Amino acid sequence: MAGGTIWTGYIHFRETNVPVKLHPAVKENRIQFHLLHRRDKVRLLQQMICATHEKVPVPTEEQAKGFELEEGKYLLVDPAELEAAEPERSRLIEVHEFVQTAQIDPIYLDRVYYLEPDTLVKEYNALAGAMQKMEVAGICTWAIRKRAYLGALQARGKLLRLNTLRYADEVVAVKSLDLPKFSFSEKELELGSELINRLSVPFQPEKFANEHQKKLQNLLDQKARGEIIAIRRPRLLRPTAPDKLVEALEASLKKVA
Amino acid sequence: MKNSRSQPGILKPFPMQGIWSGTVSFSLVAIPVQLVKAVKPGRISFRLLHSKDYSLLKRRMFCPEEKVMVPPEEIVRGYEIAPGQYIPVTDEELESLAPEQSRTIEIVEFIDMQEIDPVYFDHCYYLVPAKGGEKAYRLLAEAMRRTHKAGLAKFVLREREYLVAIKSTEGALALITLHYREEILPYENISPKETTIDAEEESRIIKSIKNMMADFNPGKYADKRREQIMALLNQKAKEKTRVEAPEGEEEEGEGPADLVAALEESMRKMKREQ
Amino acid sequence: MSKKIVEISGRRLSLSNLEKDLYPSYGFTKAQILEYYRRMARFILPHLQDRALTMKRYPEGVDEEFFFEKRCPAHRPAWVETAELSLDDGEGMTVCLVNDLTTLMWVANLASLELHVPLARADSPETPDAVVFDLDPGEPANILDCARVALILRDLLSPLGLAAYVKTSGKKGLHVYVPLNRQDPTFEDTKKFSKAVAGTLQKNYPEFVTAKMAKEYRHGKVFINWSQNDPSHTMVCVYSLRALEKPTVSFPLAWRELEDLAGQGIPEKLQIIHSEAVSRAEKQGDLFREVLEKKQKLPHL
Repeated sequence: MAGGTIWTGYIHFRETNVPVKLHPAVKENRIQFHLLHRRDKVRLLQQMICATHEKVPVPTEEQAKGFELEEGKYLLVDPAELEAAEPERSRLIEVHEFVQTAQIDPIYLDRVYYLEPDTLVKEYNALAGAMQKMEVAGICTWAIRKRAYLGALQARGKLLRLNTLRYADEVVAVKSLDLPKFSFSEKELELGSELINRLSVPFQPEKFANEHQKKLQNLLDQKARGEIIAIRRPRLLRPTAPDKLVEALEASLKKVA
Repeated sequence: MKNSRSQPGILKPFPMQGIWSGTVSFSLVAIPVQLVKAVKPGRISFRLLHSKDYSLLKRRMFCPEEKVMVPPEEIVRGYEIAPGQYIPVTDEELESLAPEQSRTIEIVEFIDMQEIDPVYFDHCYYLVPAKGGEKAYRLLAEAMRRTHKAGLAKFVLREREYLVAIKSTEGALALITLHYREEILPYENISPKETTIDAEEESRIIKSIKNMMADFNPGKYADKRREQIMALLNQKAKEKTRVEAPEGEEEEGEGPADLVAALEESMRKMKREQ
Repeated sequence: MSKKIVEISGRRLSLSNLEKDLYPSYGFTKAQILEYYRRMARFILPHLQDRALTMKRYPEGVDEEFFFEKRCPAHRPAWVETAELSLDDGEGMTVCLVNDLTTLMWVANLASLELHVPLARADSPETPDAVVFDLDPGEPANILDCARVALILRDLLSPLGLAAYVKTSGKKGLHVYVPLNRQDPTFEDTKKFSKAVAGTLQKNYPEFVTAKMAKEYRHGKVFINWSQNDPSHTMVCVYSLRALEKPTVSFPLAWRELEDLAGQGIPEKLQIIHSEAVSRAEKQGDLFREVLEKKQKLPHL
């Protein structure tokens, strides 16, 4: 069963208006950990402290929200005032432009919602069909409960989906990683490509299950019983030295042959 | 087996700069790396400031029992087994659940990135090479770029095991954690039952799409949003001074005309009766 | 500290730290808190029924730190009913539903002194069952000023065909509820409505009413917090304890009584303490029952 309806809205661009219901596409199942004080095992609470006066906790009355105009310069904002000023939020998922789906780097993709047709199923199907045929995604904006979102509307099979996008200044640029330039020979590159191709398979996500969760639950049960856990130290792999790269690649190819 | 070179971060799982450090391996090739964030809060979101001196506020953990700020070295992760009762679990104990997978991301197969349904993507990180691994790192990135493939692996970070895709992007390696198949919700019951497509409708939409084509430019969308917020804030700043002006001031957004009229009428009646 | 295992309706529940004094200046132990909720169960349960619970836990008592807990703790007994909520970011969250006495006892045992719930039920999170007017006094205004505003509010809504019901917040203010109990209203409707009403009151009584949240407008006035009409906001449940120095209760008042008390001019009389809450409820029954049952329609929307 798909998750319940989070929100209803309608996709809009030019004369196209398709009412839809948003559903979550993912339901995580995890064991929740909390942060504790090592000394007394007490659950820690989050507090805001002043960056300049490190140790002083700042109570809510002294906290203000600011919007960064430029480095270090902020415009103080009273969020309640901002809320009151914003126009009535509509239910529009406004599509501003279409892009080739292949152009969207996965690093910009955040969360996915399924879109269920509300009424006007024929229009929904026509839109899904058109987008599928053209292999495009619709760049759109919408707002749920005063939070604005940027996303990509996509067709996958018969279903339309909304994929939220990260803003460009939220993604760390590769340039800022300052990666050193290193050159390698054409031979090394060929061997590497060959190895990758030999190890290539179709994507079958059902092969992978979360086995770790059970192990973790056992660990917690053991600890609850007061048992001491045997520590196993991992074996660390020796990094492949740059001048041994060809050797390692050739040996690998032999292994997978 | 100990490393022949002593490398900062290799022996401790959680180094200062990155989130994790270890090795990425595929077949017999091992590349020492660090995992760093690829996503950070942007300039578009509001930040919390101290109203006294407008310095940025940071989050810190506070012990309610001893009433002190607790530095990272005194923090341990734990699980609530009973009300108010927590069992601490150390990093070493967590590592012992899957020792090799806690230090090595072993790529067991490569797949075509296009085959991954975007619904699987969760969080994004970058891998940066540690000393000695720069060449092999670059080679892997370039080879993956040429072959249009991404590596699939499982690795354990703290208490969670992740299924990850490692792909090349602009000469670097990005690591994307994936949801497990069992975490993807089925969609059969919300798929349209009626599957007929109106051909005319579809071609009209295709026409619209053709007229609205553009290149994917994330920087453009960020700038637009910033402009909108700035305009809103500037408007608010102007209005603030307007509110102090004398009467004749229209309260913005009173509400639907009918309702407001009814309320005013009711108000008048009340005042008369008092 | 003591631990005790009890059996309620065939379920085993482990109670802990029963002698711990959670209201040290007043003297009110965990055992007494459990007893309070046990006696009030038949009055409070219908108001908690099928609503996503937000706990406000004070494990070390009211003078120490507290924390809100929306996620239903993983260590819950198997018989605690839960619901799945979808968060705005697409993730799911399991919440507790307090649908029976044993679960109420379990929650109280977690030192969740205060119980907060949304205006909508978990299975229809976008459909509010009532409109709420959260009256919050800005010093030096107090609960008596809130009472004045509440009475005006009642008289303003009555010609529109809407009955309203009032309760104390258990702290400084009052909450006025207008039951709807229909399938059609959305939070957009109730927010629009409550905002318009608050605006009308502010316009007509600018000296002591404000509809604006910004602190500079609230000094000496009663703030009508219409923005509480939101799917992500919660209100303290009627009959819940509050974590003040004394264990006061968010308690419903009949309009006639509110008029009398407002006339007497003694703010302390509007604070109902736990013992008074129990004896009054046992005598009068649930004065807030109509908030769950009365069906009303918002006009002009």
